[in-house]
Amino acid sequence: MKINDVPQDGNILEKSGEVRDVCYAVDENGEYKQVISVGWEPKNEAINYAWSLIEEESELIKRDVISGKLSPLAYHIHRSVMTPEILSSYTGFTKREIKRWCKPKHFMKLDNDKLGIIARVLKMDIEQLVSVE
Amino acid sequence: MQLDFKHKPSGHCENGVVSNLLGFYGINISEAMVFGLGSGLFFAHMPFIKLHGMAVTSFRPLPGAIFSRVMSLLGIKMKRYKFRDKEKSMIALDKILLSGTPVGMLVGVYNLPYFPKEYRFHFNAHNICVIGKEGDVYTVSDPVVVDKCTLTYDELKTVRFAKGTYPPSGRMYHITDISHKREIDRETIRKSILLNCNRMTKIPIPMFGVNGIRFLARRMRRWERGMGKKRAALNLAQVIRMNEEIGTGGAGFRFIYAAFLQEAANTMNMPELRRFSEEMTSAGDMWRDFSYNAARMFKKRDGDTITYDILAAKLMKIADKEELIFKGLEKLMRDAG
Repeated sequence: MKINDVPQDGNILEKSGEVRDVCYAVDENGEYKQVISVGWEPKNEAINYAWSLIEEESELIKRDVISGKLSPLAYHIHRSVMTPEILSSYTGFTKREIKRWCKPKHFMKLDNDKLGIIARVLKMDIEQLVSVE
Repeated sequence: MQLDFKHKPSGHCENGVVSNLLGFYGINISEAMVFGLGSGLFFAHMPFIKLHGMAVTSFRPLPGAIFSRVMSLLGIKMKRYKFRDKEKSMIALDKILLSGTPVGMLVGVYNLPYFPKEYRFHFNAHNICVIGKEGDVYTVSDPVVVDKCTLTYDELKTVRFAKGTYPPSGRMYHITDISHKREIDRETIRKSILLNCNRMTKIPIPMFGVNGIRFLARRMRRWERGMGKKRAALNLAQVIRMNEEIGTGGAGFRFIYAAFLQEAANTMNMPELRRFSEEMTSAGDMWRDFSYNAARMFKKRDGDTITYDILAAKLMKIADKEELIFKGLEKLMRDAG
């Protein structure tokens, strides 16, 4: 890659903070130099694609929540790119408990303490956790 | 308390932390040289390890491998820690930091506040260096950030104990003794290149090195049939992210290694290495071409002719190219020994 070819497609990085890509590219004499880049479109597209799929799947889960098949927890787990397994290690609840709470019947019985622990890990408050809005 | 620590951003987090840490002790080694001495170029496609439910593709050796190797080559003593107890890990960090020692550590990026939201997935092998503390705010040198940044006590604790695949478990490391430091000589570099040749061409398991690239290519041809369009594209997206992601970039690694070969050509006084550097640059360009074409899959319109077979064929070519480079390098290094 030549220095002039280092991509500067800042769709993701420029919008938030100071994270950058340091690229190595050759100058006109063929010597390697470091160049700071704000991103590259194919990579941005891969990232956006992964997120769009998560959004899409979350919408499907949301429908199941509204029709009473799943609990709001199932929706929030998916939307936060969590899995019952990882949420279980962050909260200290067992994987089985988390999976059970994805059913509305069991989710309804959760007390505020437990909801609070889950909400904190998912970085939201309890009101958000119990709804899908 | 702030240490007099010079923060330099770098292409890969582990090299960057190592290079910056050494700089603190007055040992100036470029990121590319750290990467090369650490025999850091690698490829692995491991279906039995999952990240987000998909096979892990990695472009580097296990986290920490570059660091350990470079330190032992330089004769520098270091200490590593791993914790079960979160509070104890923070107390240990404070104690070492306050004694005037910068501390490198492994963190997960999922909860890293200064990372763009889009980048935060359960990736647990990011390296940062803690270089100061005021009240309960830590000063952090993160190689993928332009300037020094900060994390609160709670934020740092959370990312040190991130969960998921390969949890960091509070792992941290620091330099303890540089009094037996050795210079980097021709022989050290020669051996490091040979080790990298071995890793890329001689591991007899099909998941690693150039054979790993072929393994991924063969699996890729079957993705669409096996799991449908969406999942296939998602798997591809994960490969691209690993290929290009900050601090892990596969194509980028080829360029860093090329920069290392260029530097080695001077240090070893072997101009032939410059030709290999150029070859490695074109391997990097081929990886970028692969990513560029793979991205067409994500917004595929009617009439776009890109297929997984075409992408797999590109990978096969890359594997051939890199095999040729490393076989050639190996011969050159053996003859020079």
